[in-house]
Amino acid sequence: MGGERLKIVLSLTPPLLIIITLFFGGIFYGFLQSLGYQPAIGKYELNFSAYYNVMFSERYAKLFWSGLALNLWVSFASTFLAAVFALFGALAIRKTFVGKTLCKFIYSLNLPMPHLVVAVGMIFVFSQSGLLARLAAQIGMISSPGDFPVLVRDKYGFGIILAYIWKEAAFFFIILMSVLQSLGENFEELAQSLGANRWQRFRYVILPLVMPNLFSASIIVFAFSFGAYEVPALLGVIYPQMLPVMAFEFFLNPDLNARSEGMALSIIIALIVMILVVFYFWLTQAKIRKD
Amino acid sequence: MSELKIENLVKNFQGMDRPAVNNVNLDINSGQLVAFLGPSGCGKTTILKMITGLFQPDNGNITLDNESLLPIPTEKRGVVMVFQNYLLFPYMNVNENVGFALKMKGVDKNTIDQRVKEMLDLVKLPDIGLRKPKQLSGGQQQRVALARALIASPRLLLLDEPLSNLDAHLRDEMRELILTIQQKLNVTTIFVTHDQEEAVLLADKIALIFDGELQNFTSPKNYYEKPKNIKAAKFFGGVNFINADLVDNKIQSEIGFCEYQGDNISDLNKKLFLTIRPENIKISKNNEFDHNSYQGKITSVIFSGTHTRYKINVNNVHLECSLQSVGIDNIKEADQVFVHLPKDKIWGMND
Repeated sequence: MGGERLKIVLSLTPPLLIIITLFFGGIFYGFLQSLGYQPAIGKYELNFSAYYNVMFSERYAKLFWSGLALNLWVSFASTFLAAVFALFGALAIRKTFVGKTLCKFIYSLNLPMPHLVVAVGMIFVFSQSGLLARLAAQIGMISSPGDFPVLVRDKYGFGIILAYIWKEAAFFFIILMSVLQSLGENFEELAQSLGANRWQRFRYVILPLVMPNLFSASIIVFAFSFGAYEVPALLGVIYPQMLPVMAFEFFLNPDLNARSEGMALSIIIALIVMILVVFYFWLTQAKIRKD
Repeated sequence: MSELKIENLVKNFQGMDRPAVNNVNLDINSGQLVAFLGPSGCGKTTILKMITGLFQPDNGNITLDNESLLPIPTEKRGVVMVFQNYLLFPYMNVNENVGFALKMKGVDKNTIDQRVKEMLDLVKLPDIGLRKPKQLSGGQQQRVALARALIASPRLLLLDEPLSNLDAHLRDEMRELILTIQQKLNVTTIFVTHDQEEAVLLADKIALIFDGELQNFTSPKNYYEKPKNIKAAKFFGGVNFINADLVDNKIQSEIGFCEYQGDNISDLNKKLFLTIRPENIKISKNNEFDHNSYQGKITSVIFSGTHTRYKINVNNVHLECSLQSVGIDNIKEADQVFVHLPKDKIWGMND
């Protein structure tokens, strides 16, 4: 018994060491920096002034709260819409028809695509100098490409949301396709024979069956989009600015004093995501206990 | 109570070299309990799915009370199917599962609660309404699935392999329950099975299906005593088949002249087969029989607990005779015996 336990401990130690050193070590050092600990510039005192500065100082408060609101809006909207598009796509594609494989391929194509490439693609297609604007001007729908609505680098984050929908719908799609294929159509056929119409079958059968997987995937997508930098950096505006972009700019500031604010922002982003994950686990555990 | 008529039903699937269902015709009377019997893949469930509307036939018609079902969508047919693996909605408790059909109809909650209670009482599960499906045994899940189907007051109830996932003792219990409920509610019911014993024990009539084609539709007793062809006879445990010729309304078989009382003699071809159940053959060391008595040799004796099975070679035709208990003491392997095929038990078939 003791030997078995030792084997488990020995086999778990290397990956745990990597996780603890790289993940918690980095976060812990970042947390110390957010508290003002920066030996390189002779700062050893620990305090919360960077957090206060970021959230409540006259200089940064407006930027922070507007950025947080934009972050929440972009993450919720893109996660929700990507899930909806993927769900309807998966429901349409799961039936056998000519061209099904091609449709699946097109739907899943974005998954291996880097976010950076997707963001650049958005600029090429949706910006006021992009393909759509030029095409619309060419066929006379608008007088010049400049009249095209601002969909990229806009203050509401439409461009960022579009990029995330474009990219994350593929992730949702792959998950939903495997769930729907494993479920088969028997539940729906049964519901149909019990008198459920198309909407009722969707509302009372499909949705509850796919919801646990959809919810888990949503948490992953939300957490990712809340903390990601490159898409908002390329497709966002200077004000309001999403928090990861703001944090990175603090970090790049030649004034090393600003690094604490950058770290404080990063810790706040991580905390919000962690709260969300804890809430998710609490919900799932509560459901398991209830069942 | 509803009367179902199936006419010239055909269904093809891509990639199959024969129709999944080929020209099936059936008339099922109101209140009857009918079995669709046949081996796996013979088209039984496909017919069931065409009746529910989940598959559209390529040809033919299905009428319920003289009204064609084909233009009516599944959800409005009043035909409810209980699937083989129960398919209780895992995220609903038993009450919610059973009340599903009424909820879809927009019935008020109090009425649903009352009807759910009635249905759970009917299937003898009155106290499990708040449990989730995974907290139920296989037998309980089957009963809940049945209650969920019956609450919809179906015009036609379809059961897909209702007993196949149950243990032997639960099968008996469930069989009794299905029979009791079907008789009490008098709902026209079709069930699919590949188990001939199950079909015989439950059904008023059996539709025997092979390779998408209906072989016969008759009472369970007739399948034993008056099978339509060798395939049907074999499916019901028939093992004795004798080549014969019909000459001037008399039958000359390969084991000798045969007196025949079957009521189908006018339907028989010149070349035919005779069959008889193993339990209807009599054997004796002395010739005690006044007709259809042939000499043969015992080739093996097998005792199987409740029965003893004798294999007999009669004029190079192998026949089997099954006698209750230990059989006949003085008849052993290699003995010469007289074999009697009673004229009222022997049956002629064209193919």
